Amino acid sequence: MSHHSASIRPRLVSTDKSLADVSNDICRPIENKASTSWKVGFTLAVLFLGLLGITLTITTLFGIGTWGLNKTVQWGWDITNFVFWVGIGHAGTLISAILLLFRQKWRMSINRSAEAMTIFAVMCAAIFPLFHMGRIWVGAYWVLPLPNAFGSLWVNFNSPLLWDVFAITTYFSVSLLFWYLGLIPDIATIRDRATTPARKFWYNFFSMGWTGSTRTWNRYEVVSLVLAGISTPLVLSVHTIVSFDFATSVVPGWHTTIFPPYFVAGAIFSGFGMVLTLLIIARKVMNYQEYITIGHLEAMSKVVMLTGTLVGLAYITEFFIAAYSGVEYEQYAFINRATGPYWWAYWSMMTCNLVAPQVFWFKWARTTPWFIFLLSIVVNVGMWFERFVIIVTSLHREYLPSGWAMYSPTWVEIGIFLGTFGLFFTCFFLFSKFLPVINMSEVKTILRDKE
Amino acid sequence: MFDSKLSLKNNKTLLFGIFESGDHALDTTRKVYEKGVDIIDCYTPYPIHGMEKAMGLKRSRLPIGAFICGSIGFSLALTLQSFIMYFDWPIIIGNKPYVGIPSWVPVLFEFSILCTAFGIGIMFFARNKMIHGKVPDEIVDPAQTDYRIVLAMSLDEEGVNKDELIDLLRKGGAVEIKERVNHPSDQTFTEKVLN
Repeated sequence: MSHHSASIRPRLVSTDKSLADVSNDICRPIENKASTSWKVGFTLAVLFLGLLGITLTITTLFGIGTWGLNKTVQWGWDITNFVFWVGIGHAGTLISAILLLFRQKWRMSINRSAEAMTIFAVMCAAIFPLFHMGRIWVGAYWVLPLPNAFGSLWVNFNSPLLWDVFAITTYFSVSLLFWYLGLIPDIATIRDRATTPARKFWYNFFSMGWTGSTRTWNRYEVVSLVLAGISTPLVLSVHTIVSFDFATSVVPGWHTTIFPPYFVAGAIFSGFGMVLTLLIIARKVMNYQEYITIGHLEAMSKVVMLTGTLVGLAYITEFFIAAYSGVEYEQYAFINRATGPYWWAYWSMMTCNLVAPQVFWFKWARTTPWFIFLLSIVVNVGMWFERFVIIVTSLHREYLPSGWAMYSPTWVEIGIFLGTFGLFFTCFFLFSKFLPVINMSEVKTILRDKE
Repeated sequence: MFDSKLSLKNNKTLLFGIFESGDHALDTTRKVYEKGVDIIDCYTPYPIHGMEKAMGLKRSRLPIGAFICGSIGFSLALTLQSFIMYFDWPIIIGNKPYVGIPSWVPVLFEFSILCTAFGIGIMFFARNKMIHGKVPDEIVDPAQTDYRIVLAMSLDEEGVNKDELIDLLRKGGAVEIKERVNHPSDQTFTEKVLN
């Protein structure tokens, strides 16, 4: 229990809490009836989920022609949204795996919800490439190396698109395992507190007979460490491979070696943006201010500032290298980004991602929840624009001007995008009602710790 | 490794010391272990740092298993990719060689990670005999997953001074001390509170 910490540092859990208090506070939303705000939010999320169902049905029935893509801009909102959602997922693994390896104890009250976010975001992301392939009902043969009667027509292991399939599925399943493993002790806590037979049954089912035995904990800690150790390169590899989708092509604007680190930094940036958006609301609505303190928000704001600056550096480097390369197509691609017909997207990206996070140099900005909330929205918007800029502005100008085209989404594409928010928030609302949003067993270890 | 004595059911008489503070439980466990008393287990709501050492537990060997699983995953991915791309249906793609090791690396890596993670996960559940829907048989106190720490000791071995042990627990800050006698004939037990 004893370890050295500076006395000027704020505490990780801001007030004096006993072990029982932690369980009472965190189990409250699960054990009580759903609040009105929960019901309203959930209904709204389900409505948007319905929109996802409708727009995906239309896409399946009538094909990709219902989208605004054309011969020149073959990737539009679909892949923009795919990369956007995958990026959002990255904060969860970063918080739970990388911060575990660095022994950052402030991760403990935010890792559960961030990991949940990872899983839901990857679910949303997977929808886009799957439906973009067209005939979804034969999709399994296109993405997985399954024996078939076409030749055998195998998948192509030289293609980054296939690497992506492996990266995303591995990322999803390993994150799910890591998240579930962390949930087991807390599910057991709810099981032993349960008063209704239904609750007792379901939490008993998912707690897998957990008793809190030290022998089990001993192995559990080792397994957590191993999973964190392998999740760290995994999370870095996922967005690296996503960036390969672009970087291994010969499209001016995509063909850059800076993409992997630049995409990873961007993913962490956008992920933390989303974590902040969600947690600032959740801590208020669920009354968790003592667990998710201003100190947590400040630490996350610092990460946002750092990664935002890294991303900004990548934007400028890209531009410089294009100029320095002497390749006129590369040079045109970048000048066209900043001054061409999609200039507004480029400058929105620059403002939101590079300029806006610089306010976090000021302590006031890092410690004022409503301001961080506003800025986290700006970050989300900016990172969406980044993907849009990379994809659409690079594609819409071909080598031959006869191939030049513009792209704008149809209502079906907009509906799918809004619908994925519905899916994401439906999952998140269900999670916050039925599972503890804060990792109780980990928070119990840091009750008297300082940052 | 698979000691049947570690189960509460397989001991005749048991003593439970129940604590509400991790520090008290840790100190007492250390003392009890030094006395040479058989500690069956210590049930805690959160991982108490140092408890495994206080109980004399060794570090788990699950990482070795994880490494083996990862290696199997690596070999499987290599076999699959070379089978498909070289043996079964070689296709020239962009004039690249059939055996393109660098472009196989991402799938090799991802598949090794997948097998390592699920390998260690499954081994962890198997080693702890955990499965969905299992009713836990070692809940001594319903609050042991909430705010109480239960130290379970066996009184079966010769030379254990029960009174001395109870005194040690009491001085160590136990809020409750219980004695359990198992009746193997009908799978029941009787418990009495000692403090």
